[in-house]
Amino acid sequence: MRSCRYCFIAVVALSSLFPAAVLAQEFSTLKRTINAPPKPSGTTPRTADGHPDLTGVWNGLGDNLLGVPNQIANDGVSIDSENASHDIFSGTQIATFPRNATRGLNNEQGERAASLLRRVGSNRPVYKPQYWEMVKEFDQNANEEDPSNNCMPAGIPRAGIPSYIGQYPNYFIFIYPGQGGLIATQTMYRMIPADGRKHTPLEDLDGTYTGEGIAHWEGDTLVVDTWGFNSSTWFDQIGGYFHSENMHVIERFHRDGNTLAWTATVDDPDVLLEPWTTTPRVALLNPKPDAMLPESLPCSERDLTHTVTKEHH
Amino acid sequence: MPKRIAILQILTVAAAVGIAFHSALAQNEGKAGSGAEAKTTAAGETMDRAKVLRAVADALGMVRWSDIGAGATRLPGIDIVNTMEIFASGTVYNAGQPSTAEYHAALAYIPPAMRVEITRKDGDAASQHTIQTVRENFAWNESEIGAGLIPGKGTATPAMPASKARLLRLWILPYGVVKAAIAAGDKTKISTENGATVFTFPLSGGLAGITVKATLDSKNFVTKVETTPDNSSLTNMATETEYSDYADHGEVLTDIKSPGRIVQKQTGRPVLDLQVKMVDANNPYLVFPVPPNVKAATPASASGTAGN
Repeated sequence: MRSCRYCFIAVVALSSLFPAAVLAQEFSTLKRTINAPPKPSGTTPRTADGHPDLTGVWNGLGDNLLGVPNQIANDGVSIDSENASHDIFSGTQIATFPRNATRGLNNEQGERAASLLRRVGSNRPVYKPQYWEMVKEFDQNANEEDPSNNCMPAGIPRAGIPSYIGQYPNYFIFIYPGQGGLIATQTMYRMIPADGRKHTPLEDLDGTYTGEGIAHWEGDTLVVDTWGFNSSTWFDQIGGYFHSENMHVIERFHRDGNTLAWTATVDDPDVLLEPWTTTPRVALLNPKPDAMLPESLPCSERDLTHTVTKEHH
Repeated sequence: MPKRIAILQILTVAAAVGIAFHSALAQNEGKAGSGAEAKTTAAGETMDRAKVLRAVADALGMVRWSDIGAGATRLPGIDIVNTMEIFASGTVYNAGQPSTAEYHAALAYIPPAMRVEITRKDGDAASQHTIQTVRENFAWNESEIGAGLIPGKGTATPAMPASKARLLRLWILPYGVVKAAIAAGDKTKISTENGATVFTFPLSGGLAGITVKATLDSKNFVTKVETTPDNSSLTNMATETEYSDYADHGEVLTDIKSPGRIVQKQTGRPVLDLQVKMVDANNPYLVFPVPPNVKAATPASASGTAGN
């Protein structure tokens, strides 16, 4: 048993630093009692070259990362109704209970519940055995160890679905607004060519947070193939999932009407026993034709020095 | 083929869980469904299966929902216990001979898996170290954690005949008992014995033929779990486990309560007497990949699962 060197407070203050999330939620018209993916509606617009048009603000369910229903689904549990849930990866049913109406959660209880809810899914990357303990330690000490808790970029594929996609004939623009709190991370953008070019040899690239992404179409699915990362990020929102500079990520985007489905497959033969694919996520198009992304406030980490327990999201 | 069997079993049991729990909930709300069943005790007290199982799950801290963003979110509660690690020390018995031991169990319910690492110390003799692992219907022994997954890194020795006994360890933990009782649906019976609430249910899948009886204390903690096989081929599955001193034993607090002492007998003989030192219940990173040589070995005839 390790000693408790840092005993943190619950990190409830994190929730006060959610400008992007709060602003994004004003677009949401849904009061969510489930987190099952939204059903698509409407037609899929196409560009002049016949491809699906992915252009738009994709935050119709609130923020892609921070909404609690989204977090739970992103990490592998679908709450399908008031009395049915399942583990998305295995299909295993999970017992579902009415909320306890007579007892509210205090802040610590809320944090502990959130932490458990986000880790209950079974879709875990399988690291080589020599790294199992390291991943566990990183997760347990995420308040200190998580790179995104220190205002660093979330990186790819942790950033998930971009909140804005701009589609042009030979390239894409992805924008990921910065967040406070849960993932206190910087705003990121990617300019991704789709002109048939090949990857730069890995040894010629200096590793970066977003790597060298190159897009192509496979039917109606946009495939973004990225390598050339630094090793300064974790590749999912939870779990201490560190990676090496040899990480190779394949993202797949598929638009159906007003929804955008996304998965990413992570291959890192240096640390993983086998490639790992994220739990599929679905974003909803912001229905407002004049939707804008709000400015993100500068990320300034101010919680860590006040934490006294290890509880964290 | 084994994979297909496993998928079918998962789907079958998953359907059973869904149906069972829906009917249990309906009963809880006074809307008895076709599977709803209530028992009246000798004292005339009507016991409600869903209410009892919910009370046990609440006592153990298994039911959680999120209030973060409560203005826009009203998600129901779900069973949040999947992975867990237990660190303990005490006495283990081998053929009736006691040894001082360190005990470390890593477990998961989705998919059902458990790795038990025991280091025995018998006086001046060298320590004996064993790692017994099971995942669904595959069982194997590891020379080191994760042995057999990378060439040259340890040895994984198939131990398929042990899969049922190893899976039983998972399902007789307090959390396993609750999950399996919910999965058993209206086959779970509630009664009182000597003033204590008791529930009994049959295990399913590869553990079919074993009946579990769980006894609760006044705080709805599981204090005793007894397993009774219904045929002679499962004789060694007759166990009795006592749990006491429940608390949140985590370094990272989770509000999940776990027993501080575990005393277990098998076919009437003591096998474990453990004092729990720490429990990581925060669904820690624990994986149980089956080594290629174990996959290639003939698996046990049926997956020993209950509830998953």
